[in-house]
Amino acid sequence: MGKMIFVNLAVADVAKSRAFYEALGFSINAQFSNDDAACVVLSDNIYVMILARPFFQTFTEQPLGAPAETISAIYALSCDHRAGVDQMMQAALAAGGTEPMPARDLGFMYNRMFADLDGHVFEPMWMDPSAVQSN
Amino acid sequence: MERRVFITLPVVDVARSRSFYQGLGFAIDDRFCDEMSACLVISNSIYVMLLAHSRFQDLSVRPMILPNDGASALITLSCASRAEVDQMNAAALALGGAEIHGAEDLGHMYSRAFADPDGHGFGIMWIDPTE
Repeated sequence: MGKMIFVNLAVADVAKSRAFYEALGFSINAQFSNDDAACVVLSDNIYVMILARPFFQTFTEQPLGAPAETISAIYALSCDHRAGVDQMMQAALAAGGTEPMPARDLGFMYNRMFADLDGHVFEPMWMDPSAVQSN
Repeated sequence: MERRVFITLPVVDVARSRSFYQGLGFAIDDRFCDEMSACLVISNSIYVMLLAHSRFQDLSVRPMILPNDGASALITLSCASRAEVDQMNAAALALGGAEIHGAEDLGHMYSRAFADPDGHGFGIMWIDPTE
């Protein structure tokens, strides 16, 4: 089985966040979802776990942060086309997300950023596969 | 192409963090590394980009915070066995990581959590595939 990653994010309102990520086109794994959590499926190996802030706090002794005010991580997601980047951005903005930084277009790479309802920052990106030499 | 995720994290000392993650057994992709950055390969679809603070701050207008002062994310990686969970945790602690959640054993699921030298939290877990 390939390695799986679960990005656990603290959110104020699980139902609203779940609706936000569904609006981006991602599905929800009901087996790992309840009133305090929702499991967003980005691929077979990549998941975002939306956790109510009090529930999130049970997983760490670190103090709970304020993602809308400060930043400690950015989550870039690859898209197959430049248009896919713009589509994900449009869906995010229409669903209540914000665009904290302008698009960056390097020709062979195109990145945009959105913050979700709590301020967690995602970066849909496209990279020209021919621009990156394979191993 | 299968979707890939690149988690970008700010670190105080790129060389120190690079050694830490190499000690956990992860490979480095030198094509995306310099003095200010290191690209860790978790799998063909999962990468962690370690960036020096100044370079990370270029990516956001918001002030940077380190998770020990306020955590709003925790990254969990699956392991192939209970033993791998314990091995990765032991390696992390030996290399300067800190335990942020002790072992939790639900029988069909076994997990631990540690923070890297900058406080970035990682959960590591095994789930019984037959469940």
